[in-house]
Amino acid sequence: MSKYSVIGQRVRRVDGPDKVTGSAKYTFDMVLPNMLYGKILRSPYPHAKILNIDTSKAEKLIGVKAVVTGKDTLGRKQGIWRRFPELCDEEILCREKVRYIGDPVAAVAAIDEDTAEEALDLIEVEYEPLPAVFDPLEAIKEDAPQIHDGVELNMNVTRHIEWGDVDEAFKKCDYVREDKFKCSSQAHVCMETHDAVASFDHGGKLTVWTSTQSSYYIQRLLADILDLREGDIRVIKPPTGGGFGSKFELDSAQFCAVVLSMKLRQPVKIVLSREEEFTATKRRTPMYYYLRLGAKKDGTLLAKEVRVITEGGAYTAMGATALYLTGFFSSFPYKYPNYRYDGYRVYTNTAPSSAMRGFGAPQSTFTGESQLDMLAHDLGIDPIEIRRKNGMTPDYEVPGQAFIQSCGLHECLDSIDEYIKKRGELPPNHGIGVAAYGFMSGGIFNWFDTPYAFSAALVRVNIDGKVDLFTGACDIGQGSDTTLSMICAEELGVRLEDIRIHASDTDICPADLGAWGSRETLMNGNAVKMAAADAKSQILEYAAAKMGANIVYDLDIKDQWVHLVDRPERGVSYFDMVKEAIRGRDGEVIIGRGHYTPHRKGMISPAYSFGVQAVEVEVDPETGKYGLTNVTTAHESGTVINPVGIEGQLEGAIMMAGGYGFCEDQPMDGGNILNPSIADYKLIRSLDMPETEILEIDTYEPEGPFGAKEAGEGLTNPTAGAIGNAVYDAVGVRVTDLPITPEKVFRALRDKEKQSKQS
Amino acid sequence: MSYHCPVCKKVSSTAMDLARHMIGRGDKVHRDWIKDKGFKYSELLTMQFQSFGNEGYEALAQVLEKETKVED
Repeated sequence: MSKYSVIGQRVRRVDGPDKVTGSAKYTFDMVLPNMLYGKILRSPYPHAKILNIDTSKAEKLIGVKAVVTGKDTLGRKQGIWRRFPELCDEEILCREKVRYIGDPVAAVAAIDEDTAEEALDLIEVEYEPLPAVFDPLEAIKEDAPQIHDGVELNMNVTRHIEWGDVDEAFKKCDYVREDKFKCSSQAHVCMETHDAVASFDHGGKLTVWTSTQSSYYIQRLLADILDLREGDIRVIKPPTGGGFGSKFELDSAQFCAVVLSMKLRQPVKIVLSREEEFTATKRRTPMYYYLRLGAKKDGTLLAKEVRVITEGGAYTAMGATALYLTGFFSSFPYKYPNYRYDGYRVYTNTAPSSAMRGFGAPQSTFTGESQLDMLAHDLGIDPIEIRRKNGMTPDYEVPGQAFIQSCGLHECLDSIDEYIKKRGELPPNHGIGVAAYGFMSGGIFNWFDTPYAFSAALVRVNIDGKVDLFTGACDIGQGSDTTLSMICAEELGVRLEDIRIHASDTDICPADLGAWGSRETLMNGNAVKMAAADAKSQILEYAAAKMGANIVYDLDIKDQWVHLVDRPERGVSYFDMVKEAIRGRDGEVIIGRGHYTPHRKGMISPAYSFGVQAVEVEVDPETGKYGLTNVTTAHESGTVINPVGIEGQLEGAIMMAGGYGFCEDQPMDGGNILNPSIADYKLIRSLDMPETEILEIDTYEPEGPFGAKEAGEGLTNPTAGAIGNAVYDAVGVRVTDLPITPEKVFRALRDKEKQSKQS
Repeated sequence: MSYHCPVCKKVSSTAMDLARHMIGRGDKVHRDWIKDKGFKYSELLTMQFQSFGNEGYEALAQVLEKETKVED
């Protein structure tokens, strides 16, 4: 029997009924009195000087209330790297130069969307097109056009990681492989596009409702760029239709709606179109990967060298972190005694690349797990066995980088091995590929330079026993409102229905860095647990006196019952005790406070999850057409807070990561994305979904609330690599550039045929 | 024996390692030093991504071997 009464229960989401009945009001649904509608004019050129913007005709159009350009702003560049001003390089309404097709140059507010759209056509922008560059290997050449003044060779940032003596270790290897890979881009494709409603009132208060992964970041970034005080800005996140890394930076919908509203003192709403979502928001970082891997004959890995150059696009965005993390996670989940990573991020005249679910790790896992299988094949070692031989274990230190406490990787390998053996002999042209992975539970990064705790929470226990939980955490669809409510209920000793969560409203909730890097469960969960414990201790102080218990007895609350731990039958109702406690405190309600900031937990994260995934494919050797038939994942994420939540995360991750491996791409011509619609951008749809199975492995993470750690992004990491390995297992061809489309498999099969005929 | 970076004084045990450091840093002062020796930084870096082996590093390491070696 579980020692928990709430944790581990299969509960429905606290926001579920509103969402499934359609009564949840997203930013998209919001209408305010006197609200205007905004649209944004964007650059048609990948690189050009702005010589003049004439808005006079647009301003005269009936129904148009205002047109703004960069001249209506303070002209400040912004970015999320606030500690590093040179990396805050994005001017959302460009004044002098545009750097990619989609860069905003003007915005209109009108009485309706059609009028605003019509007005965009009347704005005359005079450009002087400049030479443009789209590939990072071209952009670093000395004769390439310079995208940002003062940034020679378009070199945005470099990142380097090293431990051991790599060169010496390679000399000692029995076998060394060198391989190149190319990782493609991917769009986030949130159900809800970027949108915002901004309202600047006559008292100087700016309120912004927006679909975001961090209300606090948007509040602070707006304060910087508008020169307002943080307290003069209120950012509220209504229910949000997905983020996946695309919504924790200030975006054009938010900024343009604010600039228009401040000019007009009227609410302005901007919703990006699906085409804008594809072309003018950020995307997964494309990467060129060079890998060198050395091992002993028995498969013991001795050294790995990784070189990466990424297509940064026009601005830094979160790409610098993706560059670091792809290097760090290239060492995962194995114990490399000698490791070296050199990463380069290069500006190009393409849509900026940035964070996306997995944050650089899907790229490193695809390349690393592909190459590891290639090496295992060359050495005649079973793919599971080579992973067992080198896999991370509990209490392992990644030299100079990270300390891993809980780690269930070997149990996951055992579980997948058992699954594959049970599956038995595969039908012809079927193959199973495996990939192992790990991921972080929130990042120990403060490039944002927040002075606040990374996470904070406040618990208010009311006279009727109802509990208000205030948190800056952002539920973007991943279910954090439910997870945090469960943690609060368990710690306080009440039921889930006793908790009412108020989240991501900067006026009433404590600051929180938001939903990125799989941080909410561990970081905000710890803050919530601490706040609930604080509130509980106040109730128990009163209860101890009231109950007259011997001081040697401990008191606790479980399932709404305040009792002696050793004699649980001796107790009183939680509701009665709360009522009396508040009366006894001169009517002051009970407030608990909690916060969490990781200290002395290494460079990357306070905890890591692990897993192994097996993908089965069926390939037609004539056409290269193939399908995913089954995806089975052994995953460990510490104590499972809500099993339903993990299942949802897993299925969503397979759809997203399967798409990354199988079909999603953003081909460009001259910086122009060629498939900016749901019709042309190929996603895995519900009918394409394979059978999925999750094999949950029990672990306990000492740093996490009730032993929990991440279960969100890590699941996105293995699938592309496992698909590549499965295709190889089925028909013996290896595709090293993503996505692994049937066309590429077809070409590889024909090349293989030619080679075998020649030999 | 060690090799001292002529720009930031970082100490490396081999000229190859120092070459990797100088290309890896990639900032203007390191790039300028490389350029003064007659190399194009971008070409050295591109070599590292377009061909296997360490052609780019090796070319620079030959110069560093002569100019930055320090007898300990």
